[in-house]
Amino acid sequence: MWQIFFAWFFILMLTITLKYIPFNSNTAFLQIKQTEVNRIQPYLFIFYIHVYTAIFSLLAGFTQFNNNLLKNKPFIHKTIGKLYVFTVLFLASPSGFFIGLFANGGFYSKVSFVTLSLLWFYFTLKGFLMIKFKQINRHKKFMLRSFALAFSAITLRLWKVILVYLFHPSPMDTYQIIAWLGWIPNILLVEYYIFKQESK
Amino acid sequence: MKKSVFILFLITLVSCKKEKLELAQNIVVRDQFQNLYGNWVGDFEVSKSDSLAEEGHDFVYSNKLNLVIKKIENNKVYGQSIVAGNSRPLLGEFNEYNGEINITLNEPGDKKNDGQFIFKIIGENLEGKWYTNNKKNPVWEREYKLTKQPFKYDPKLMLPEEGEYVDWYSNRIDSTKEVEDGEVRNYYETYRSASDVITKLNASTTLLKESDLKNLKKLELEIIRNTIFARHGYTFKKKSFRQFFDPIDWYIPVTDNVSNKLTLLEQKNIILLNRFQKYAEDNYDSFGR
Repeated sequence: MWQIFFAWFFILMLTITLKYIPFNSNTAFLQIKQTEVNRIQPYLFIFYIHVYTAIFSLLAGFTQFNNNLLKNKPFIHKTIGKLYVFTVLFLASPSGFFIGLFANGGFYSKVSFVTLSLLWFYFTLKGFLMIKFKQINRHKKFMLRSFALAFSAITLRLWKVILVYLFHPSPMDTYQIIAWLGWIPNILLVEYYIFKQESK
Repeated sequence: MKKSVFILFLITLVSCKKEKLELAQNIVVRDQFQNLYGNWVGDFEVSKSDSLAEEGHDFVYSNKLNLVIKKIENNKVYGQSIVAGNSRPLLGEFNEYNGEINITLNEPGDKKNDGQFIFKIIGENLEGKWYTNNKKNPVWEREYKLTKQPFKYDPKLMLPEEGEYVDWYSNRIDSTKEVEDGEVRNYYETYRSASDVITKLNASTTLLKESDLKNLKKLELEIIRNTIFARHGYTFKKKSFRQFFDPIDWYIPVTDNVSNKLTLLEQKNIILLNRFQKYAEDNYDSFGR
């Protein structure tokens, strides 16, 4: 069930990514970001790093939380896991940090996106180090947290559709709300899940 | 010394008066109809229509009409009618009977919405009716009472703050349909409305930045752009645009083409506004940012 649900949203994210192919400095989201594109020299390059690489981190959603796969084909878990760690630590999270500094919606959404990128980096790094130290349980916890933040790419956009449908707010009012709503509930849910698992 | 200055002053005064008198005589000689020339502006309201046609759907009850009288010569009248996105040349006849001025003006007749204007000049007003050439049109007759209003482009003009800017036309009809006693009823979603930003942001006097437009909805972007066109006297084809400008006192439709009148600043702003509008159309309510 999760796989189908996730696959649907993965495809939606993929179509968003495909809007940026071929490379274009004034397409999709960039249509309202020309100030940054023209004034902040590295913006466009880093933005595209984020767009082209962050999608790979979502692949982890298909494989990494599947216990059967982990048991029977640990090779797949390891490969996708390494891809995830590499993508997040070196590409998606640092680029997210940078474009977060210029986020739409002013100070509050900038704080949100910058915090998100730092936490994402931290949880992913921790999860990676834990498995290097063979601390499987703690690896699991940190990777759950990390992916909850990666998944905010989807929940943020989902919240937007819901808010616009219900209240027709102005675009940047929406943006300030979804900047936080995209990942805070995710991380709270995962913490609750971890807490429940531990108290079993 | 003082005396001579006074005399000099007197002389100039007299000569001034003389000049004015001559000028006035000149005008009278040049054209006795001068005071009829110009924009006659007012509401163009349906007075007879096909009873099966539906207002709002097939026609709009009231549009702003500008009836221009350009020239009267040998009982021939030359003019222009500008209304609802159509600018039509007019040609007709002039009659004066017992001091009452009657004018008949015909639209060329090669378009399906063409017709005939018949009106009188009564004091400060121009009053009369318009008759369609084509009885298949939903509107057969319209009436109007117009007053003279000079047109002048003023970039500072704004939509008034006290207005309520609701889009009564482009609502989402696809929302809900319910059948009640065999009758199908549409329940519309909330109408789109614009915030007061449209009365504050002037795209004819200030170069707009992205940050000015980021928080605007599509309707607001549309109105700000169209206010530029309205200042130049553009006549809007879309009723969803006319609804905001027709009621505005300063708005006079004078032309159906303003592309060569836009200032460089306005052109730049229009490009930016269009880009944001496209983004709003593609992304406002869809899965994405």
